[in-house]
Amino acid sequence: MQVDLDKTFELPGSANKGWTFLQDIPGVASCMPGAEITEQVDQSNYKGSVKAKVGPATMAFAGNIEIKSIDTEKRELHMVGKGQDSKGTSSATMDLTAWVIEEDGKAILKGKASVTVTGKAASLGGRMMTQVADQILNQFGKNFCNNVAAMGEDEAAVQAREELAEQPKELNGFAFAWSVFVGWLRSIFGGKASS
Amino acid sequence: MTEQMDKETREAALQGMGCSRKRKEDARFIQGKGRYTDDIQMAGMLFADMVRSPYAHARIKSINKEKALALPGVHAVLTADDLKPLNLHWMPTLAGDVQAVLADEKVHFQYQEVAVVVADDRYIAADAVDLVEVEYEELPVLVDAHKAMDADAPVLREDLIGKMQGAHSERKHDNHIFNWQAGDKEATDRVFQNAEVVVSQDMYYHRVHPCPLETCGCVASFDKVNGHLTVYLTSQAPHVVRTVVSMLSGLPESKVRVISPDIGGGFGNKVGIYPGYVTAIVASIVLGVPVKWVEDRMENISTTAFARDYHMTGEIAADKDGIIKALRVNVLADHGAFDACADPSKFPAGLMHICTGSYDVPVAHLNVDGVYTNKAPGGVAYRCSFRVTEAVYVIERTMDVLAQKLGVDKAEIRRRNFIKSEQMPYKTCLGWEIDSGNYHMSLQKVLDAVDYDGLRREQEEKRAKGELMGIGLVTFTEIVGAGPSRNCDILGIGMFDSAEIRVHPTGSAIARMGTITQGQGHQTTYAQIIATELGLPSEEIQIEEGDTDTAPYGLGTYGSRSTPVAGAATAVAARKIKAKAQKIAAHLLEVSEDDLEWEVDRFKVKGNPGQEKTMKEIAWAAYNNVPEGMEPGLEAVDYYDPPNFTYPYGIYLCVVDIDKQTGETSVRRFYALDDCGTRINPMIIDGQIHGGLNEGFAVAMGQEMPYDEQGNLLGNTLMDYFVPTFVETPKWETDFTVTPSPHHPLGAKGVAESPHVGSIPTFTSAIVDAFAHLGVTHLNMPHTAPRLWKTMQELGVK
Repeated sequence: MQVDLDKTFELPGSANKGWTFLQDIPGVASCMPGAEITEQVDQSNYKGSVKAKVGPATMAFAGNIEIKSIDTEKRELHMVGKGQDSKGTSSATMDLTAWVIEEDGKAILKGKASVTVTGKAASLGGRMMTQVADQILNQFGKNFCNNVAAMGEDEAAVQAREELAEQPKELNGFAFAWSVFVGWLRSIFGGKASS
Repeated sequence: MTEQMDKETREAALQGMGCSRKRKEDARFIQGKGRYTDDIQMAGMLFADMVRSPYAHARIKSINKEKALALPGVHAVLTADDLKPLNLHWMPTLAGDVQAVLADEKVHFQYQEVAVVVADDRYIAADAVDLVEVEYEELPVLVDAHKAMDADAPVLREDLIGKMQGAHSERKHDNHIFNWQAGDKEATDRVFQNAEVVVSQDMYYHRVHPCPLETCGCVASFDKVNGHLTVYLTSQAPHVVRTVVSMLSGLPESKVRVISPDIGGGFGNKVGIYPGYVTAIVASIVLGVPVKWVEDRMENISTTAFARDYHMTGEIAADKDGIIKALRVNVLADHGAFDACADPSKFPAGLMHICTGSYDVPVAHLNVDGVYTNKAPGGVAYRCSFRVTEAVYVIERTMDVLAQKLGVDKAEIRRRNFIKSEQMPYKTCLGWEIDSGNYHMSLQKVLDAVDYDGLRREQEEKRAKGELMGIGLVTFTEIVGAGPSRNCDILGIGMFDSAEIRVHPTGSAIARMGTITQGQGHQTTYAQIIATELGLPSEEIQIEEGDTDTAPYGLGTYGSRSTPVAGAATAVAARKIKAKAQKIAAHLLEVSEDDLEWEVDRFKVKGNPGQEKTMKEIAWAAYNNVPEGMEPGLEAVDYYDPPNFTYPYGIYLCVVDIDKQTGETSVRRFYALDDCGTRINPMIIDGQIHGGLNEGFAVAMGQEMPYDEQGNLLGNTLMDYFVPTFVETPKWETDFTVTPSPHHPLGAKGVAESPHVGSIPTFTSAIVDAFAHLGVTHLNMPHTAPRLWKTMQELGVK
């Protein structure tokens, strides 16, 4: 099951600020709901985990993130994350290229992701994959923006830090399912899924 | 007159053939008193559960079972390495291939068995499954059969590299299993080159699963003291399983007892031998305690035998009047990771060469290539007789295309090409001999019953208004009752079947067969055959099947073979008893055998009313007063090797309306006329036809096993997999004609699969017919609303 997604987020600060944060791998990882970096293996390899809770079931994915390239000139990062759930029944791969550009004086984060899921997660959740991946990236974008905003000392930065602090530490299945559902409804009734 | 009434009363009391006797099985089933494999409980019994692969194609780098073994209640975790010393890590399949019992270094399909955990109960086993750590290295996945023989296709079966001689033919690629052909290629091609009209249609018969209500399972119990192995098993062929278990385990066959208890539906899914059975047996032998393995629904749909997955092209060469001159069928068969089809050994594509159908086809050629893909193994006959469903689908679809091309009505094109009743028995150009049938008469009966011309007029009017109405018509011939041992065997054992009947002194009887009922009502119908043959009331005849220690050897129940083969054995065994009874009666009445005539339940002395002996009286005498030199007792056994297959047929017509806004299909009418020869129990026949039509509806309208590019099976739960209930199922109208089989002792032909085989192309025919005026010649199944909606978008239907 493979889904390709293109995402664009307008960043609150400058492009340089955005790029600075993009190179902070543990910071970037923490923008993924439920994800964290557990260990840095070497300069370009990290170990991480993602936890998702749906009702009584917890799915914990553990895996590796490899930084394929960092291009400072283009402000572009290419990374591949691979994980397998602890029960060995599902696995996921995400090939992500993210870059920061300046457009009309605004800083924009662009992302291109290819997500592949195998195993039970694909069999059971395949039909919702696009919506789920889309929502995860939306959440990611929001957190990323807050992180960039939080780099300052002004009122907006304080607010951003507060918002970040309130973020749930793991992917909550029910709240998440709701946002997927709302996004899906919007896509049906003509409007665009929340960006 | 009184004598006639007396005769009729006695006949009715027997509840023999032709009587809609209520099913003997139902009393226990409707009270929840059935005894299925999972109901078996034994002291000290352990439970096995499988660790399965999340990947479709991957190398196993390591398996760590420490954590699982540390869990209290876990007795063993077995992997391929543990089975290697026993040489049981691979097992032979019925199709001449081998299959990994537990993945040996590599996994070949998603959900493949990687390790088996044996624990105190099923819950601990399931928890321990989660604790087994398997490290995989993913490999490129092959799911598209059309790419299987590409030069750069990933090689799936490393165990077969370099072995270019397969079980059935040379292999031309590492992913190639076999090439199999029937008919005369050259002569067929020649006709095509010079034909006035040629039609060709590609079609995909999608991958589906029989999905019986009861999943597969077993309880293996090895007695270490006397070396006896007893296996309770959900098997449609318990005797074959006993032979295989004996061959694999090295235990003498006399020390292996296989029992198929009540079975909750099989439909082909329960013919094969699965890793779960083998590992439970090994675990029981090693641990010395009973071990139960029962798969859950996801395991059932994902791993134990699927059906179809045939990519077919049907081509007909005809003259301008639509008279068929030649038929050409080409098939790419996707068999999954191991060739575990259940077919007679000589026929790797089953009885696909019945694809000339009900038609007088002068020359034909069939070409089948089987390939490996990263999908589950199987390829069984889902409520059909070895690929007959596929054969009927390809010929019936192609006939519709021919009719459409020539602008001839689909009923008329069939009428023009039918084998005529006076041509029966008819030798087909692909080597079969169709025993009997009157297709013209049966077709006319259906067309009259539904007012076919009226339906066509209504369709015209609806089309003028822009509405979508379709009429489907199929006139199929099945080939069932495998089969004559000269061309049918499984593992070298001829496909005969058997019956053993014992009449007790007081005139009741017990009979045992080599078949096994899974809902067909054998306990009811076999007794009816004996009742009529021997004049004993069917209520007093017990039927037992499924225990290899007591029943005579038989090849089992699938491919509608029970009535054609074991039903024939039952009749012949009964006739052997009757012949002995006649001798005893002659002795008792002190007349010559030739002076006796049979009437319902007794032998009478010809022309001497009142001088008679009933079968019950004869039974008593069989145990105390037999002619000199005759051994006492009244029993017989028969192993029946049929001289030919039987060829039931049917004429099915379906009317659908398709909603232009949603793509939803409403089946307005479905008229099914079946001719299965002599009818033993009309009520059971109706029930079987309803069941078969339901499953045909399921396959045509919703069931599918879709795999994505990574080899994930998308849809292995009942949330996705369509099992129609009373709510979705259309109303069925059934009808029949009777053309007895000339070679079957009772004239019966078998029926349970005809409705499945025949209805599936009927639905496609109806759906396509709704779009025929827009130039559509074929649409692949399943005909779900979203797919039809897409079709309408593409066609610009508004």
